[in-house]
Amino acid sequence: MAVEERDPVSGYLTTGHEWNGIKELNTPVPRTVVFLLWATFLYSVVYWILMPAWPLGVTYTKGLLGIDQRNTVAEQIKDAASDRTKWSKLIDTESFEAIQADPKLMKIVRQTGATLFGDNCAACHGRTAEGGNGFPTLVSQAFLWGGTPDAIAETIRVGINSPHKDSRTSQMPAFGRDGMLKREQIDDVVDYVRSLSNPAVAKAIAPAKLASGKAVFTDNCVACHGENATGNIELGAPNLRDNFWIYSGGAQSVFTTVWGGRQGHMPSWDSRLSALDRKILALYLVNLRAAGP
Amino acid sequence: MIAQLTKSERQLALIILLAFTICGLAMAIAGRQDPLGVHGAIVMLAGIAGIFGVIYVYYEPEPDEGRLALYYDDPTKVAIILAMIWAVIGMFIGDWVAWQLVFPNLTFDAGWSSFGRIRPAHTSAVIFGFGGNGLIGTSLYVLQRTSRARLPDQISPWFVLLGYNLFCLLAATGYFMGVTQSKEYAEPEWYADLLLEIVWIVYFVIYMRTLARRKEPHIYVANWYYMAFILVVAILHTVNNLAMPVSFGHAKSYSAFSGVQDAMTQWWYGHNAVAFFLTSGFLGMMYYYLPVRAGRPIYSYRMSIISFWGITFMYMWVGSHHLHYTALPQWVQTLGMTFSLMLLIPSWGSAGNALLTLNGAWHKVRDDATLRFMMVAAVFYGLTTFEGSFMAIRSVNSLSHYTDWTVGHVHAGALGWVAMITFGSIYASVPWLWKRERMYSPALVEWHFWLAVAGLFTYVFAMWNSGIIQGLMWRTYNSSGTLSYSFIETVIAMKPYYVARAVGGFFFFAGAVIGLYNIVMTIRTAGQPADERAADRPVAQPTGVPALQPGE
Amino acid sequence: MFGLHYKLERKTMSLAIGIIIAASIGGLIEIVPLFTIHQTVEDSPDMRVYTPLEIAGRNIYIREGCYACHSQMIRTLRDEVERYGPYSLAVESKYDHPMLWGSKRTGPDIARLGGKYSDEWHVKHLTNPRDVVPESVMPPYAYLTRAKARIDDLGLHLAALRKVGVPYTDEMIANASNDAYGQTTPDTPFAEGVTKRYGEATNVRAFDGQPGEPTEMDALVAYLQILGKLTDAAHKAKTAAAGE
Ligand code: HEC
Ligand code: HEC
Ligand code: HEC
Ligand code: HEM
Ligand code: HEM
Ligand SMILES: [Ca+2]
Ligand SMILES: [Ca+2]
Ligand SMILES: [Cu+2]
Repeated sequence: MAVEERDPVSGYLTTGHEWNGIKELNTPVPRTVVFLLWATFLYSVVYWILMPAWPLGVTYTKGLLGIDQRNTVAEQIKDAASDRTKWSKLIDTESFEAIQADPKLMKIVRQTGATLFGDNCAACHGRTAEGGNGFPTLVSQAFLWGGTPDAIAETIRVGINSPHKDSRTSQMPAFGRDGMLKREQIDDVVDYVRSLSNPAVAKAIAPAKLASGKAVFTDNCVACHGENATGNIELGAPNLRDNFWIYSGGAQSVFTTVWGGRQGHMPSWDSRLSALDRKILALYLVNLRAAGP
Repeated sequence: MIAQLTKSERQLALIILLAFTICGLAMAIAGRQDPLGVHGAIVMLAGIAGIFGVIYVYYEPEPDEGRLALYYDDPTKVAIILAMIWAVIGMFIGDWVAWQLVFPNLTFDAGWSSFGRIRPAHTSAVIFGFGGNGLIGTSLYVLQRTSRARLPDQISPWFVLLGYNLFCLLAATGYFMGVTQSKEYAEPEWYADLLLEIVWIVYFVIYMRTLARRKEPHIYVANWYYMAFILVVAILHTVNNLAMPVSFGHAKSYSAFSGVQDAMTQWWYGHNAVAFFLTSGFLGMMYYYLPVRAGRPIYSYRMSIISFWGITFMYMWVGSHHLHYTALPQWVQTLGMTFSLMLLIPSWGSAGNALLTLNGAWHKVRDDATLRFMMVAAVFYGLTTFEGSFMAIRSVNSLSHYTDWTVGHVHAGALGWVAMITFGSIYASVPWLWKRERMYSPALVEWHFWLAVAGLFTYVFAMWNSGIIQGLMWRTYNSSGTLSYSFIETVIAMKPYYVARAVGGFFFFAGAVIGLYNIVMTIRTAGQPADERAADRPVAQPTGVPALQPGE
Repeated sequence: MFGLHYKLERKTMSLAIGIIIAASIGGLIEIVPLFTIHQTVEDSPDMRVYTPLEIAGRNIYIREGCYACHSQMIRTLRDEVERYGPYSLAVESKYDHPMLWGSKRTGPDIARLGGKYSDEWHVKHLTNPRDVVPESVMPPYAYLTRAKARIDDLGLHLAALRKVGVPYTDEMIANASNDAYGQTTPDTPFAEGVTKRYGEATNVRAFDGQPGEPTEMDALVAYLQILGKLTDAAHKAKTAAAGE
């Protein structure tokens, strides 16, 4: 030691160097630091022995516990599913009516259905299932394919105009674009259709125009929408007399429908959701409708 | 400043600038149907502007030999101003990003302004623009002082600084046009990556040459860290950016790696960009400015050694903690987690070393906002590394990953550590560099400090809250054993925290604006060299004491 | 340790080399074995490559920075599997240069998005997310419908991908632009080429509702509709693990 310099504050020696005014103390490494270094290292060694850890060329050490994250999660999911069997078995096997009559099961349906609906269906049908432009409400009485739990469950399974092999298929033809009707005829039938559910429209339109619209309707539309325009659940053709619209009831929108046709697409959930989940969703929707307006 | 160059340096500058112009032209032509063309034009214009700048002073008299007896600080001065400008830009964009999550239509129906494009513009502007310029500027300053040697030449530092800023400009403008490799913190495309590669090699050469000329027998700890920063970033950058361009006329390239190997390479890079850019480099900064400002010796040389090698060795193992529970094989996750835990000790070693250095200077911390910036930085460095090691535990990460908790951790580090240490160091060095007695307005430094602290706490607490709430909501089960919340419900729950974060971010941004103003005003007000540091010179001070041996 | 360091800190070159050695070990041990250990990437013979249009869409996804909000990596955690579907396998991103696993979920994971929604929904959603999801914070991307996708250079893209290891054939590369066009124009000879080269299950539709010249919306939706559908491996692995 050439020169000893002691720091007056801490009392430690400096290392003797100086860089542009900076000096360093030669304070020994505190015990705690050394201890913690060893502690974390030992913890790591134990962890390495127990868990998959070190690569060995074409394989790796598997660890004494034989744990693998994929098996772990598979087991957790299996255990969780078997924990749920106390109710899931009932929902799986009982009839819709029996489940609906059981308040305990229906509480589970509401709990489970809400999240399932939120994660899978709400994007189209809205968080409250009231639909949106192009996507039907599911809480009205106006069902395209029938509102029974069975019908709904089937719609969910196969979808509408989806790639599923059993898909429900429906098509509103493009009367204008495909040249089946003339422009005036379409204007008239649009007015007529709108008048069916909207008294204000019925009053505003000249009776002659309505009559001609009605004629066009009878010739072209009743095949699907029915004699009274109340729809046909065999074909998925909507009721045009109620106040529920898939594509909004505005003049422009109805015109677009008749001119260009429609083919709504509801995905199939056959391979995405389990039969149990689909059944819960059907029950959830029926319940929602009963509770709703 | 260009007049400081000698004749031959001016000629060399012209040649380099001409080379840039020609490269730019070639890119502009080859990429005329592609965003690459725009970048070619930018490179070309930058080259032409440089040429004009040099020609303008070309016939001015050469500088005298006296300059060689002084440190070469012109690049540092420019770097510091650029750092502050990038800080203001980057934080402005950051706050805009934050407000977009409150008002998603703040894109004005345009592509360039949408969240996914301005977010990387924010991260690159603050990390590379602000942080990088701060590192380059201070490293050149510290390197010369602690080696008592002038930089080896006057061209290469300019090449590094300006070339680097051209890289930053290409990066930022690229995102707005949609040019990105999508690898976080390595988003710029292949040609910008190549530019950075060259710049970085020159940067390293400057470092080695200056150290080789040093008049101190020992390399100071700040330089270990700066060197680790330069070297390791070079390795990381080279490997992670290996890619196949679609053609020389396309900005687009395809990463050499795919899938799981690409993920591991990316996060080996991504984590160590944090470690060696945002940590190692700034530790270098801290190891110089903090002891100088506090007027205290470094608490423990030995702790510096332990921390340095611990950090350099262990950090490179931990990238896989970004991939817990993913398709990355579990053995790699194990290594990432365990090394992250061990890493805490050397990290705290550095933070502790800094805070204990302040022993005997706490009264200065109380009175001096500049030193307080550095003190808060050291505290947040300790806090962030603790949090990081905690989040690296698999079960904790299962909650935190993918959530705002990560963003909170990032900004505890970015605002609390990176930005705070940089602001402190800049406030310390501006009066020294421009030979002023002090900053234009110490009151404004106080303002900046308190705005920064307020912004920091608001931001970080908001994100801790939102992150943990979101993570918990995702995994909450109801009494039936099924998921309680749908995803969109968690989005709704984030709203108040996003507002708070955006407000906090605004405070932090406002502080940076004040800082820039204060610095500009300091430069514009003439002053007398009051601090003896303003006059320090490469020649060894006649202390009369020869190089000493450490007390081993 | 202190002694060794004491030597290093006086020699610039030695210190530099010391740093390089210390810093290289971790990466080498963690990355190199990912190429040599066979189990790292599962075998999956049914795995198909992206079509040229899907590549174009993927590049738009990258360009727009969707990965900043959406992950494509379902972790091996119960809640993620129950919410999003089977956890992601390494093989599923085998042809992803680069991978898009993501690090933040401001929006939901979309690793299993393909087929979940209809094309119309995607177009509506991307045009203005709040039209279909009022609470969404996702940005609007209306301009994608207005922009024609650049498909003339897709051959070069496929060729570049082949250089980094994706098994595109000469035929695929030669027909890349035509196939991109064909994938949005069903019932034409162009469309037949797509299914011939990429398989019957390939989606051939006017994704944005307008047949003809593909738009950027077509490309992006085509990409979104294939997510999680390049291979069945994940579903098989799930049933295998459940012991069914
Ligand atoms: C991509 C959008 C989309 C998603 C997601 C979606 N649906 Fe639909 N759904 C539709 C469309 C469109 C229709 C109407 C089809 C038509 O216009 O013919 C429909 C119709 C229905 C119907 C028939 C209504 C009736 O009147 O008969 C039911 C029931 C239904 N959806 C339930 C669900 C459930 C349950 C889910 C979630 C598991 C779901 N939907 C998800 C788009 C969607
Ligand atoms: C081939 C059967 C068929 C014929 C013929 C037909 N429709 Fe339809 N129509 C449908 C189906 C199916 C839908 C539901 C479309 C969907 O959403 O997928 C529909 C939907 C509509 C709607 C939209 C209802 C809403 O809620 O928005 C209107 C309006 C309508 N049809 C009017 C007409 C008129 C007027 C005619 C005659 C000019 C007509 N339809 C002929 C099958 C038919
Ligand atoms: C600011 C963050 C953000 C960005 C950027 C973003 N998204 Fe989203 N995304 C969301 C949020 C939040 C949701 C959930 C709400 C919703 O459905 O809109 C979402 C939902 C989605 C969904 C529905 C997923 C599902 O399963 O319900 C798709 C598909 C989607 N985004 C695609 C994209 C694409 C493609 C891009 C880029 C062009 C993109 N997103 C960019 C935030 C974002
Ligand atoms: C011991 C030190 C540290 C450890 C072990 C650590 C660990 C972690 C972990 C576990 C994550 C979350 C990864 C994920 O779940 O996605 C993370 C993210 C991050 N950390 Fe740290 N951290 C440390 C220090 C720091 C510091 C000092 C900074 C400085 C700014 C920082 C910046 C970041 C950034 C930017 C990310 C986000 C990466 C992304 O884009 O996903 N970290 N870190
Ligand atoms: C005014 C101050 C700032 C504001 C308002 C701000 C805001 C933001 C926002 C909103 C995000 C996106 C988070 C998300 O996707 O949800 C972000 C990301 C990020 N910011 Fe900042 N920021 C600020 C300052 C900084 C600074 C100074 C740095 C670095 C030095 C920084 C580094 C980052 C990084 C690395 C990310 C990416 C995080 C990740 O991917 O996990 N930010 N910032
Ligand atoms: Ca890059
Ligand atoms: Ca990230
Ligand atoms: Cu990390």
